[in-house]
Amino acid sequence: MEQKIVLTGIARSKGKAAGEALVNRQRIGWAFNHVGNEDGMVLAPGTDMKGQIVTGKIFVYPTTAGSTSGAVSLYYKCKVSQHGPAGLICREVHWIDISGAIAGEIPAVDKLDQDPIETIKTGDWVEIDAPEVGAKATVTITRKE
Amino acid sequence: MKMKLTKYQQEMLDGKHGECKQFCMDKLVDFGKAVEATEMVDLVLVLNECPIWIKDRRKPETLEKLNMYDLGHSPLYDPIFEMKDAHVEDESGCACGNDPYLIQLDKRGEILGPPTGKPWNFELPGKGSFRLDAEMVAGFKAGYDKLMEHGWLPWHSCNPYFNTRIPKMGEYAASSESSAACYINTILGARTNRESAVNTVYCAYTGCLPKYGTHLDEYRAAKCIVELDDEVRNNIKGMADWGALGACIAEKAENRIMAVLNLPKKMGPGATKNLISCASPGMNDPILHLMGYTPESPTLEAAFKGKMPKNPERYKVTMDDIVEMYRHLNAIAPAPGPEKAKPVDIVFFGCPHCTFEEVREVARLVKGKKVKPGVHLWVQTDTPSYFMAQHYGDAKIIEEAGGHIYHQTCIAMTPIRHYPKGTTIATDSFKYVKLGGGFGPNWIYGNPEALVNAAVTGVFTPTARWEYWSQPREKRLASEKERPLYDGGVPMLS
Repeated sequence: MEQKIVLTGIARSKGKAAGEALVNRQRIGWAFNHVGNEDGMVLAPGTDMKGQIVTGKIFVYPTTAGSTSGAVSLYYKCKVSQHGPAGLICREVHWIDISGAIAGEIPAVDKLDQDPIETIKTGDWVEIDAPEVGAKATVTITRKE
Repeated sequence: MKMKLTKYQQEMLDGKHGECKQFCMDKLVDFGKAVEATEMVDLVLVLNECPIWIKDRRKPETLEKLNMYDLGHSPLYDPIFEMKDAHVEDESGCACGNDPYLIQLDKRGEILGPPTGKPWNFELPGKGSFRLDAEMVAGFKAGYDKLMEHGWLPWHSCNPYFNTRIPKMGEYAASSESSAACYINTILGARTNRESAVNTVYCAYTGCLPKYGTHLDEYRAAKCIVELDDEVRNNIKGMADWGALGACIAEKAENRIMAVLNLPKKMGPGATKNLISCASPGMNDPILHLMGYTPESPTLEAAFKGKMPKNPERYKVTMDDIVEMYRHLNAIAPAPGPEKAKPVDIVFFGCPHCTFEEVREVARLVKGKKVKPGVHLWVQTDTPSYFMAQHYGDAKIIEEAGGHIYHQTCIAMTPIRHYPKGTTIATDSFKYVKLGGGFGPNWIYGNPEALVNAAVTGVFTPTARWEYWSQPREKRLASEKERPLYDGGVPMLS
């Protein structure tokens, strides 16, 4: 059996993406000290996803933390080292991460009609459809029962 | 929503001032849409990061190294470096410069030569060694040279606001260095976001940025009050205490902007710098309303931007909180060894870069002593303080003791993940223990006197002062009855 949940929110960076969800309940940023540029591994101490690889995943977290270089490190992981996430879902996508996601050409979505941290579970299959910045975006969650 | 541009901004966007300005304006206008900005601000300062410029960065063995060394910003410069008209020194009057990066440029020969013990080529007996990669060093020098051609200023420090370009109230800056952003907002009264390090590249070449976030009153307003206990106000001592205090204030406010009450009367540049550097690791908004210090907040009402609730949420910071913060920071990646004698490999000061007073303190503490062989004592500072220390003898004292003082670079910009396994690093930088805690080394957080002692003896031993404050409160208060604390009321020495 499959359960499908559809949420709507606002696109902060546009694009379409699909992948397995990693849900991190703590604030976390994308700088190389939080998520390695060389392997996409979560390094930030005290986070749920420490040790996990973000590459190709939909990363779900409340909002950013730490260095402004999160913007460039996110871009770098997505466009250069190829260890970036496929898309971002936040309660609030911080400006630093918006800028990194735009440069990295991955979708970033927030202000969903349900709290993404509570609604999405690690391992869910998540699709993001965010056609235009500032406009409505759809997040479809598929969960195997 | 369409952004209103000035005539000059529109001309830049239309390409009338060259290819580079048009390219950068395009990117900024795109970002402006995402943050719903309606206009741009005119900048006086851009603080960014020098790139590693390597023409073929996709070559597999080069890419592998760049993945270790690059913060991620360097490829953003590639298209700009191809443009013939790229220049930042122009009629915008915006001073552009960079954070510290890979090496001390005037000691490049020592870095590329055999290990001399200079940062960053070092050996740790029994653990291994670390050497900077020559191709990456050359790439950094090439990036630096290119920026100099473009008119960037060579300050290479996180603290240009102390002595090189000092924004004043009413002006705007774009600082991707979080601690500088927080200092500029909190102490100088100018306005900057903790700016995305993507945007700052484009800001430099245009001198402008969409108006959003901390530029606006609504994102600068205090939402709660954090008050220091009298005990805290009277007993904060040492740079690590200031860092821990900033961390406690940020923790109490839970990522909200706060007004801070009951601060000590005279906080110098080192104290304020360490206190506000909680901004990146502890809170996202780069402003604290330090009552008595923050120019735009002469009153609480002003700190709340006229929207102070009747009973604002109020939190208190006690010495017990400060002690707990020390315990927390020492538990992120705990150093092995006995509680009162933990072996150390590297002791470093200066993240953010040391002020001159901090350099002098290290020199005073280490004078006439010798750093234990195999242990490294590193003091990182900005260029003006570095040369002041050369001129006034502090640098000589540090070097004669076996330590190293340097400018233009910072430990945080080296690939710490690739330091020898089991390296223990001791510092008074809250910012770096918190940000670098996941890199692999073990971290010790302590005050300068304990740190210099650790460099000399090879083991970190907490000070008597720590022993006193870290006792359970009742025990401490009982002991105070027998021997009252000095309260500053009468001179200690007659």
